[in-house]
Amino acid sequence: MILKRIKNFLLGYLQIEIEGFFIERFFNMCAKEKIKLWGTKRKNKIAVTTKINIDDFKQIRKIAKKTSSRVRIKRKRGIIFEMKKYKNRKVFIFLFFTLVLSIFMLSNFIWNIEIIGNEQLSEKEIIETLNKNGLKQGSLKFKIDSKKIIEKIRLENEKIAWIGIDLKGTNAKVTIAEATEKPEIIDENEYCDIVSTKEGIITKVNAINRNSISKRRRCSRSGTKINRRMDGRKIYRSKIHAC
Amino acid sequence: MNFNKVNEILDMPKEVGTNIPKVTLTGFEEIVIENYKGILEYEEFFIRICTHIGNININGFGLKLNQITDEAVSITGKIENFDFERR
Repeated sequence: MILKRIKNFLLGYLQIEIEGFFIERFFNMCAKEKIKLWGTKRKNKIAVTTKINIDDFKQIRKIAKKTSSRVRIKRKRGIIFEMKKYKNRKVFIFLFFTLVLSIFMLSNFIWNIEIIGNEQLSEKEIIETLNKNGLKQGSLKFKIDSKKIIEKIRLENEKIAWIGIDLKGTNAKVTIAEATEKPEIIDENEYCDIVSTKEGIITKVNAINRNSISKRRRCSRSGTKINRRMDGRKIYRSKIHAC
Repeated sequence: MNFNKVNEILDMPKEVGTNIPKVTLTGFEEIVIENYKGILEYEEFFIRICTHIGNININGFGLKLNQITDEAVSITGKIENFDFERR
């Protein structure tokens, strides 16, 4: 039922009033010409209101003439009549569609880059590296291969331990984990010197193998060598405090 | 009855095979007449339909012709009674 009404509205129909003496003949002739009429009501002894399709309305003039009745249009309904109302407002419709289109198109770019998790590296540096590798403000979203960029940055940059790029809408969220410095690895079998860190007086030197440079009771400033080893024995680097 | 033997054997519906009218009364508000010949009289309280084998009269109040096609007529309104006359 409602589909029929939608279909009639889409195609367009008119509400007409038929005035004459031979209404029944009018109906019979319409049925013979395969014209559909619906919603007929009798207005008075000689007048009737019906609804008729626009295409069929063109054929009704012949029938009205034959039955000597008068046909008047009461109301016009349909999509084509709504469009005629907007005939003078073409600019409005044009701008409306351009607005919708431009919103769709602009949402395909990246307009905002947000960086989370950087403590030592400055945001400018990170943005620069991103720009070099392809993630720029204003670049097309589907042209950015975030996996490739992540691989490149991880290989090239040593300060960045882990990087993740998340493209949400027009934002690019970049999460960074920085790399801590590697501790210096000391080879414990090599020759080395014992160096004092503070100023003080050496009271005793216990050298296990007998090569000792400094003598007893000598002030040593931090940094001067105290002992020198000639063979490679295990030693531990120790700090010598002032007595 | 004037329907063919073929139609009788195949058990086709009678109003499809021949020009016999079929009247469907739904409640007391709607009448659908299929296979009619023409509308003889149409008033708000009285409708007369001509078929191939006779006339059908419908009495009521506020009668409207819901749909008019060349095959069926649908009448809605407060129907009081209806009868038919053989030719």
